[in-house]
Amino acid sequence: MKKTKLGEFEELVLLTVAALQEDAYGVEIKRELERRLNETLSVGSIQSALKRMEEKGFLTSAFGEATQVRGGKRKRIYSTTSYAHKVLREMKDIRAGLWNDMPKLAFKLKASIA
Amino acid sequence: MHTPTDPSRIVPPTWPLKLLRFFLKKEFIEEIEGDMEELFYENVKTESIAKAKWRYTWDAIKLLRPSLMRNWKWFSTFNHLPMMQNYFKTSSRSLLRNPLNSFINVFGLAMAIGFCILGYAFARWTINTDQFHENKNSVYLITYKAQRNNGLQEYGKSPRPLGELMQQDFPQVKRMCRVEDEPVVVKYQDLVFHERVRYADASFLEMFTFPMKWGSAISLKDINSIILNEEMSKKYFGDSNPIGETILLKFGSSKSKAFKVSGVAAKFPDAHTIDFNCLIHFDNIRTLQDNYRVDDWSKTVSATFVQVEQPGDIAAMQLRMDKYKEAQNKTVEPDWAIAEFGFQPLASLHIQSENIQDHISASSEDNYSSIMFQIAIGLVMLILACLNYVNIAIVSAAKRLKEIGVRKTIGATRTVMIVQFLTENVVITSVALVIGLGLGILFFIPWMEGMFHFSMEFSWTDPTLWIYLPAILFFTGILSGIYPAFYISRFEVVTILKGTLQFGKRNPLTKVFLGLQIVLALLLITSAVLFTQNSDYVSKRSWGYNQHQAMYVAVPNYAGFDKLRATVSEDPDVLSVAGSAQHLGRGNVTTIVRLGTRNEPVDELAVDAHYLETMGIQVLQGRNFKDQSESDKRSVIVNELFAQTMNLSEPVGATIKIDSVSFDIIGVAKDFHSYSFFEKLKPSIFRVADSSAYRYLAMKIAPRQEREAYQRVQAEWAALYPEVPFAGGYQEDVWGNYYTTMNNHAQFWNVIALMAIVLASLGLYGLITLNVSGRIREFSIRKVMGAGAGSLSFTISKNYILLIVISIAISAPLTYQLMIAMFDFAYSYHMPITFTSVLIGIAILVIVLLATISTQIRKVIKANPVKGLKVE
Repeated sequence: MKKTKLGEFEELVLLTVAALQEDAYGVEIKRELERRLNETLSVGSIQSALKRMEEKGFLTSAFGEATQVRGGKRKRIYSTTSYAHKVLREMKDIRAGLWNDMPKLAFKLKASIA
Repeated sequence: MHTPTDPSRIVPPTWPLKLLRFFLKKEFIEEIEGDMEELFYENVKTESIAKAKWRYTWDAIKLLRPSLMRNWKWFSTFNHLPMMQNYFKTSSRSLLRNPLNSFINVFGLAMAIGFCILGYAFARWTINTDQFHENKNSVYLITYKAQRNNGLQEYGKSPRPLGELMQQDFPQVKRMCRVEDEPVVVKYQDLVFHERVRYADASFLEMFTFPMKWGSAISLKDINSIILNEEMSKKYFGDSNPIGETILLKFGSSKSKAFKVSGVAAKFPDAHTIDFNCLIHFDNIRTLQDNYRVDDWSKTVSATFVQVEQPGDIAAMQLRMDKYKEAQNKTVEPDWAIAEFGFQPLASLHIQSENIQDHISASSEDNYSSIMFQIAIGLVMLILACLNYVNIAIVSAAKRLKEIGVRKTIGATRTVMIVQFLTENVVITSVALVIGLGLGILFFIPWMEGMFHFSMEFSWTDPTLWIYLPAILFFTGILSGIYPAFYISRFEVVTILKGTLQFGKRNPLTKVFLGLQIVLALLLITSAVLFTQNSDYVSKRSWGYNQHQAMYVAVPNYAGFDKLRATVSEDPDVLSVAGSAQHLGRGNVTTIVRLGTRNEPVDELAVDAHYLETMGIQVLQGRNFKDQSESDKRSVIVNELFAQTMNLSEPVGATIKIDSVSFDIIGVAKDFHSYSFFEKLKPSIFRVADSSAYRYLAMKIAPRQEREAYQRVQAEWAALYPEVPFAGGYQEDVWGNYYTTMNNHAQFWNVIALMAIVLASLGLYGLITLNVSGRIREFSIRKVMGAGAGSLSFTISKNYILLIVISIAISAPLTYQLMIAMFDFAYSYHMPITFTSVLIGIAILVIVLLATISTQIRKVIKANPVKGLKVE
């Protein structure tokens, strides 16, 4: 479990990258997440999450095309690795399992109080 | 208003970008820069440019995270942290293991640093003089320069019409202000006092920054208003707000006018040169002073200030001042012809003030030389303390040889060892800095403030303090730490661990350092001896006349003089009475005397025929003035210095010219000190005063009757003039606090000398203690073999005695010469410096040093040799 350790924010960024596919570069990820979370994020928080996850092997990246609006600087397009998919799925399964167990747990708790 | 901006010209701010390029990893730069730029242009579409730029900057700052930043080389030095902690631990352990040495080091450095803090506070105070004026760089005092024998002399007064004409002629002159002072009597209900009133144009309070506590500064425009300072307001009205109250001012003998208090100035900052007691509109001078004409070129006004738009305007104005020079020089005597006008900026007036005569701001010459002295003393103290540190560090390193050896064996390089010892040094210096700061603020500064009655306005928030403190830390650290660090780190591991290294005890430099300390200590002790002796000397030195029996009273006019003379003449204790226009110590006139081709400024006192006798001034050659003699109105009596300055071998009978009128010299008086011994004697002349000009009544009192006679005169004055307060006093008091100041100087140097001697003997004590404890086995063996007290004393002290003798032999002549130079610089008149004072200094130093050595000798003699032999 230690190897797959993924922070909450990192997980969100990772999922966004997976969702955006070939549009997944810094600004677009920020935009998409801001829209979904309905809050403002800083470039720094996104970038550091991306870099950390690239180091951990969840992401790979490659330079994309340069555009006028970026002053001729190239984008870096991120894509998820199969390892990331595996971890994401694991996380989802763990969560799903927990959700499934929740009514029983709640019931047991009530029972023990009574 | 919104003007459309060309979109291509909107660019993100550049400095955050530079920040990013500098700190972030190279491989991330292109991507992140691109992202940032894209976001910026997107934001510009929806929000203001300023906001977009701000957001861009903020994002850039938030990008500075460890995960995105480069791996700096210095990051890796953080790995040294545990090592540093180790140094810290060993340092504090070794400090605690030798509490005596640590105390000597810390205490010595702290005293020196404390003194440096005092020097800093004083220098800051002096340098900040007048700097609170907002217009300090655009306000100028107009001066004029006149040709004198020794070159151009600058005067702070100016011709009366000059200010108004300049304001009309020069568009650059933004404001102009004339200032004139006059003694007045101020009356409010039962309170009646002599005060000085200052006439000034309404712009005075706009040009100078004197905020009001109550009332308004604009009210100076009203001719019937008066503005007081805080002290005056307290004196007459207590703590209540006096705005709207009416006070009466009496001018001269006949005129008086009621003024309405319209403002009270807040307390002035202590470091200022220009201020006021009571301020009234300048135009009052036309009605309140007899025959005062503001358009009279032949007369001067105390000061004229101008404020210009740009400091650069002054150069242009200076070129066009010639027409005023012509107007002025047509009316005055040729001796007072103006060579040129000058402009002195307010910001530097206090520094220049010693070179300008007759100007309204106080001189701060003494303060600047005091700063030099304090810097010198502070440095000497620091050096003394640092030498202690160096010596003790070198010698005590012997005890830490094993530690050094082990550290080197497990891989410490020389650099590492240097870092370790410097760390230790920084620890000690920092502790000393904190204690020194405490000493400075709690003891030295209040001590000096109490002695000279002023407040240095020391402040923690002053930014220069926070530059100064680290600078001291750095300087002291380097001075004391660098040599021991290099010296100790140099040794070879093998020699250390084999135990063959003879270390520290034989370092010749420790001797040189101790010698240097003795040289410096002797210097400071001798100066303390001399200042104390000199303080005693000046209190006995003659003033050149009989100040103990003399007394004076200021009178309003001749009628007042006559009435008072009639009364006091009947007093059996009053031996003689004289009238004069000026009085010794209370003022004089500067006159230009012409003799042949020479013209010399001299002090002039206009007196009557009884004055010299009353004041006890001896006439050495020729005769005194005769009573009621018509011919004596064209005669003068000169002092010895006058004859000497003018190269007159036969002064009596010579003729001099004052303002193209001839005067015969009829007598030569013994030199006399009108003002304190700080002031140089000046060539002086007495002439006969017109009786209408009498402003002082001088009396000679029978010995030991002074107090009673004084009280009777006061009572008689009160009967004659119930409305005017008594203004007079003992002649002895006219020098103000000169003697207190001299005693303070002596006290100051005594403290300094005490500190120096403590530092030097602490250093010696530390050295001897270490030396003796290192040789304890040797001494024990000597004792066992039968060495007596005499032989042991000799063995212990021989090196030091020789050292002390050599140091003193070097120091004594040096001290002697330096003292002569210093006293000549500091005082106009001081006692003759002889070698005896140096000898007293040597005696004190030697006694203290021998006492220090003898403590260790006693210890060795009393010690049990068996214990000494057991020492590892």
